[in-house]
Amino acid sequence: MTADQMKTEILKTAGMKLHGFLALFIIFLTAASVSSAQTLGKAPTLTVAAVPLVTAQRTRQTMVSLNFRIPAGYHINSNTPKSEFLIPTALKMDLPTDIILGKIEYPAGEDASFPFSPDEKLSVYSGDFSIALGVHPLKSVVPGKYVMHGVLRYQACDNAACYPPKTLPVSFEVKVVREPAEHKANPAQSPHVHN
Amino acid sequence: MENSVKRSPLVLVIVAFVVALMLYVGYHKARGAGFASHLTTSSIAPDFTLESLDGRSMRLSDLRGKAVLLNFWATWCGPCKIEMPWFVDFQKQYGSQGLQIVGVAMDDASKADIAKFAKDMGVNYPILIGKESVGDQYGGVPALPESFVISRDGKIIDKIIGLRGKAEIEESIKKALDTQPASSQASASTKVAPE
Repeated sequence: MTADQMKTEILKTAGMKLHGFLALFIIFLTAASVSSAQTLGKAPTLTVAAVPLVTAQRTRQTMVSLNFRIPAGYHINSNTPKSEFLIPTALKMDLPTDIILGKIEYPAGEDASFPFSPDEKLSVYSGDFSIALGVHPLKSVVPGKYVMHGVLRYQACDNAACYPPKTLPVSFEVKVVREPAEHKANPAQSPHVHN
Repeated sequence: MENSVKRSPLVLVIVAFVVALMLYVGYHKARGAGFASHLTTSSIAPDFTLESLDGRSMRLSDLRGKAVLLNFWATWCGPCKIEMPWFVDFQKQYGSQGLQIVGVAMDDASKADIAKFAKDMGVNYPILIGKESVGDQYGGVPALPESFVISRDGKIIDKIIGLRGKAEIEESIKKALDTQPASSQASASTKVAPE
């Protein structure tokens, strides 16, 4: 390889590196600008993942997990915010007759401080979080599929503004099945009476 | 061909900066005017009458002649809580020069809760119980806090969306205080205008 060829090769390699660097730079700038524009002033909408069919036995409590996603750049209050004025995230279910709502398990909030309140820790959810709830079909429920409806109430903020409370409808299907057959004990027999 | 290859890094840099600049400008435009798009600075502030915490009716246009900072807030809004002590300071400092801060509570909390919150915050300016229709007049107020700085002649001279710095808000207030009431303007123009 001549000196000229080597020089050309070095220049080519340097040029490719520069291209790569510039491409990354553009992606970074665009992503940073778009993300800052997105988090400004637009009320976020939470999403809930589809829940696979839940099979629930009569007379027993079956736990169901609902998985929520908060858009990046936002947070919502946990179920136990640290101020009486803050609106807690709360799930409200409306179940069919004879399917009882069991306990609702909220995740613990993350203690976080924000630019608007650096000295105060708030209990919040951000990113993905799950709420578990129990469904308890009574013995009177006819086996079959039932749809459970409910709403998640939440109030979101970003680093500079807060948005009015919103509700997110949630629903999932429960297949109610009979409880296992009870082992029948021998019927009580009248004691033999020996005279 | 070779020239275009050599020029391409420069083109990429220019494209990157143009894209970033457009997004940056868009971001700041949204921050200033995104929500109340029909209201521009120099629009006459839409008039309304609302009830204050002490049960009196207050009409915005009755404040003509004063510089007004109209602050939409809610008890559940963290950033609003940060601003309120600043507004208390501004009211103390500039009240004698003709500043009137007016708070409009845009939440579903009871009047008693709003009053308790305002008392806890040491609010020294009127708090009005907001209505959706008034929010709609001001662009829907989809995020809080949202403030409108109104000149002595009733024109909007600044819209402050989300939490901004205290000094920045104070600058806007000073601009509003420097304006002239409509009647003074009329008389001033009468004096200046040749017969």
